[in-house]
Amino acid sequence: MITMKTTRIALLTSLSALALSSAFAQEDQFSTVITPAFTPITWERLVNARNEPENWLMYSGTLDSQRYSLLDQIDVDNVDQLEMKWAYQIPVIDRAETVPLVVDGIMFITEAPSNVVAVDARTGREYWRYDHEMPDDLRICCGRNNRGVAILGETLFMSTLDAHLVAIDARTGNLLWDKEVARHDAGYSKTAAPLIVKDKVVTGIAGAEFGIRGFIDAYDPETGDRLWRTYTIPGPGEFGNDTWSGDSWRTGGASTWITGSYDADLNQIYWGTGNPGPDWNGDVRLGDNLYSDSVLALNGDTGAIEWHFQFTPHDVHDYDAIQVPILADLEIGGEEVPAMMWANRNGFYYTLNRATGEFLFGKPFATVTWAEGLDPVTGAPIRVPGMAPTYEGIMVSPPIVGATNWYSPGYSQDTELFYVTSFDGEQEFFKRDEDYEEGERFTGGGGRYTQPMDAFHSSIRAINPKTAEIEWEFPIMPRSSAGITTTAGGLVFTGSADGYFFALDAESGRELWNISLGARVHAAPMTFAVDGEQFVTIASGNVVYTFGLRD
Amino acid sequence: MRRTHPLRPCGRRLLRSASAVAALAFALATGLISTPAVIAEDAGNLYNTDVDIRMGQRYFERQCSRCHGFDAKGNDEAGAPDLTGSLRNASTDAGIFNVIREGVTGTAMLPVAADVPDPTVWQLVAFINSLRYDPNSVTLEGDADSGLALFNGKAECNSCHMVDGRGGRLGPDLTRVGEDNTPEDLLLAMTNPHEEVAPRWWTLRVTGADGVQREGFRMGEDSFSVRIMDEDENLWSYRKSQIESYERIEESTMPSYEGQLSDDELDDLVAYLFSLRREVQPQ
Repeated sequence: MITMKTTRIALLTSLSALALSSAFAQEDQFSTVITPAFTPITWERLVNARNEPENWLMYSGTLDSQRYSLLDQIDVDNVDQLEMKWAYQIPVIDRAETVPLVVDGIMFITEAPSNVVAVDARTGREYWRYDHEMPDDLRICCGRNNRGVAILGETLFMSTLDAHLVAIDARTGNLLWDKEVARHDAGYSKTAAPLIVKDKVVTGIAGAEFGIRGFIDAYDPETGDRLWRTYTIPGPGEFGNDTWSGDSWRTGGASTWITGSYDADLNQIYWGTGNPGPDWNGDVRLGDNLYSDSVLALNGDTGAIEWHFQFTPHDVHDYDAIQVPILADLEIGGEEVPAMMWANRNGFYYTLNRATGEFLFGKPFATVTWAEGLDPVTGAPIRVPGMAPTYEGIMVSPPIVGATNWYSPGYSQDTELFYVTSFDGEQEFFKRDEDYEEGERFTGGGGRYTQPMDAFHSSIRAINPKTAEIEWEFPIMPRSSAGITTTAGGLVFTGSADGYFFALDAESGRELWNISLGARVHAAPMTFAVDGEQFVTIASGNVVYTFGLRD
Repeated sequence: MRRTHPLRPCGRRLLRSASAVAALAFALATGLISTPAVIAEDAGNLYNTDVDIRMGQRYFERQCSRCHGFDAKGNDEAGAPDLTGSLRNASTDAGIFNVIREGVTGTAMLPVAADVPDPTVWQLVAFINSLRYDPNSVTLEGDADSGLALFNGKAECNSCHMVDGRGGRLGPDLTRVGEDNTPEDLLLAMTNPHEEVAPRWWTLRVTGADGVQREGFRMGEDSFSVRIMDEDENLWSYRKSQIESYERIEESTMPSYEGQLSDDELDDLVAYLFSLRREVQPQ
């Protein structure tokens, strides 16, 4: 045995200066075994994550959430040479919404219900797994989802469906601490990857279909102690509490179930908030219902709200502002503007000034019938009368799932375009009367489609964030819940509901490559490199696939 | 798809024999059964009045509709099945009760909260059962045998439709069409076939890379490809990137029988089609 091992190492050493032929592909894989494990992830590395594009260090790639990678080995000319390198089969049958992280050759994949596995990013073979112990009385609205982990130092942080936050040793999968964020039996749950902000773990909450009161929390990564909590619904005496009639603020939802973004220069955390509760019956919560369906800018140290922008005041259609905020500095009208780009579930695209929260401009990016436009000064929607849900049902666009939803949009620094998965659909909305009971659903209605899904239109749309105009669209079959990743290779990677993973030309929207993976893509792609070779990874159905160029 | 669940008389399947009673007594005495059984026996649903169904519907809309849909027709994305047809995990009242009470292990179908009382679950069972159609409760004007003769004769339905493996390929197989449709649905499908056309029966007109235009049924369409069956029943598959032109016609290729057949003849055809189901119905 010793002889064989020695031989292998000697062989690799002697070949190190040579290009390995395919005959040595197997030996090549073994070389990762002797690669030392990753080095700790400091805050400086996270701030500068774009400069180590071989790694994917957080849910949205970088703190500005552009999902734009500097890797360019795979480009518009060779993307049709992609082939599958490995597949990882998730053992628990469910839909995968994971965006894996890659840290120095190790990939961390989350699974339903709330598990995480570490694999060799080169081969997909497992180092360790962590299975979260789960109670049997979960309250979850919309499936057993887990979208990813965050990393700081040598520790992973993960949200769990029983509304806990757990810290896991990234080298072994051992549980370091497990904190209850909120009571799962009162309707709280957690599905989104946390965001590291300096020396804190910032994380949101789900449960707006159960009459929760939403919040954003920060935790100490060492101890799991809570450092601050900012409620997304103001309490009595606080600004905005009077935008809720009576006691409705107590059960008003405004959950925070997708990962936010951070600007290190402005020291502001940006986070979207979900629908007010009950979703479809606004009669019991008269008023604008702050800060539901909003983006909040929080102080990066204290969590204090520095500004807010509410996309949909007094929402009655479940138009969560649960989208990932994309940050970029744009030249608009001859001035460099610290911008935030946002295509909202309510059907409108917005460009905001992220320093101040000022509305710059916006337009519909999909079919909208509930509002006729946005106020050019405030950005508030100009409502079409009579579009609120009724007992008998009323047809409205976008439907409940929205013109887009939680699926990550992307931005390319090369094209300066914003890319979003969009859906032109309509649905009948119903209103119902319900009383709040702790731990019970509290939605006040629902919706139904009256046409087959194939009758609707979906597409990947490229929006110019300086004008809000749609530059091009690429039609796909309804209705995709895939996110988008862009690269310096001039590519847009995304997936579709009918199980394709594909690449488009970021400039023109031209189709460059596709492969049928056979199951719905419910996740965003990510890209990374190991030993100088670029890969791109996507979850489809219950499988995580990794592609690279042909050897 | 089975749609009928005739209610069983109350108490029909209690303990079957004296030996079962003795076994139960033994089990209780020796502590083998430590907690009251929550698993329902199929003794029929006592909560099955119109009021119960309405209460069940209210509960359903609130607790179940997010995944199963407000109309209980399911949601592919959530993986929640259509509850208006045959059920995947249960075929009796007690089976439905147990699925709601226990959940389906390994899926997003969680058990109902433990503090929800049994009567509420039974009302939910009653509502779910009310979504299905009991064909035995229907009396039809027409004569099924005459309908069969029309189907294969004057009306020429069999030139496009198959029943039990015989007939044409240019329309849906009707072998079990009576299970999913009310007599009113069936009449409407014959007199106004464009009213609701399933995407499978839309027509695509495609010009391929060879420059030849072909027209056919939309067997499959996705983001990057289409598959059709042309009028000669050939199957074709295209990559959309290689298609020169493409047109989608969301209408039925079936003619309307309004005015082509008498009302009595239409009634006979409805009676025949309604009789087409997996279980043999008494005539």
